[in-house]
Amino acid sequence: MHELAIVEALIEQVGTELDRVGQKGAVNRLEIAVGRLSGVHCDSLRFAFNLLSPGTIAEGAELSIREPSAISRCRQCGASTEITELVIDCPACGSPEIVIEKGRDLLLESIDIED
Amino acid sequence: MKLIAAKSILKANDQLAVENRQRFDAAGVFCVNVVGSPGCGKTTLLEALFDHLRGSLRPAVIEGDIAGSIDAERMEALGVPVVQINTEGACHLDANMTASAAAQLDLTDVDLLIIENVGNLVCTAGFDLGEHLRIVVLGATEGDDKAVKYPAIFQGSNALVISKTDMLPYTNFSIPRITADMKRLAPNAPVFQVAALKREGTERLTEWIAEKKTRR
Repeated sequence: MHELAIVEALIEQVGTELDRVGQKGAVNRLEIAVGRLSGVHCDSLRFAFNLLSPGTIAEGAELSIREPSAISRCRQCGASTEITELVIDCPACGSPEIVIEKGRDLLLESIDIED
Repeated sequence: MKLIAAKSILKANDQLAVENRQRFDAAGVFCVNVVGSPGCGKTTLLEALFDHLRGSLRPAVIEGDIAGSIDAERMEALGVPVVQINTEGACHLDANMTASAAAQLDLTDVDLLIIENVGNLVCTAGFDLGEHLRIVVLGATEGDDKAVKYPAIFQGSNALVISKTDMLPYTNFSIPRITADMKRLAPNAPVFQVAALKREGTERLTEWIAEKKTRR
């Protein structure tokens, strides 16, 4: 997808969050969540982070990525199924009437700052 | 010290998109984001739309391209106000680029703002620009399997336009297949078939967009 743009947005957001709480310390670790259906490739994200973070507030930080799975809920049979890739039919009964409930999120979860 | 953020990484974009939409609403502007791969016929489709619109809605265009101003020149030739954005490599427009481009237009003279996104079926899916409608264009020569191969963009669109339908006899493109896939991905999105160079099907699409604007 557009991992470079996402990493740019991530680094900008880390800066905003640190400003908000008035912290200036070095960033040790960033925890982010990349939903399985977010369309974002984690290896590319790490690659982009290594490329873009030097010289920024996030320089030297460890990037920890959690990949929460996605859930599809079927309006026909009611099944909630954990899915790892986009499905357009219910994995349980085959009905197309499904709603993807989770898995598209792209979240900055926490920032570890040197005390 | 651990700072809990729990915020969407694209929050800045989403927030700007909301602001763009508010600005469009305040100015009475209806905004349509047109997406599709390079060469699927987005610009030709716009030419047909503006042809049909003459005298009714006052259009303007934001053209997103990696480089050059070929599309903007085509719009200028039609007398439609246009702002060209060159993304210089970026594969999609974002809400910030849209805001700067819209600022160069006098929105009080505009009823319908069309954003022609960078030709791309992947990256454009993730960025809300502040539009009211997103239309995905798929050329009949691109293959009827694209909705299942690039589901995010189809799922996030309010209509599918199958373009170049005059080429159908020379392809194995199945209208029933793509229509069925679209129905599953975006149950409420209508499917239009157009041959824009011949102005076939484009008038109906124009009417649909105008109707969507009225209902807004």
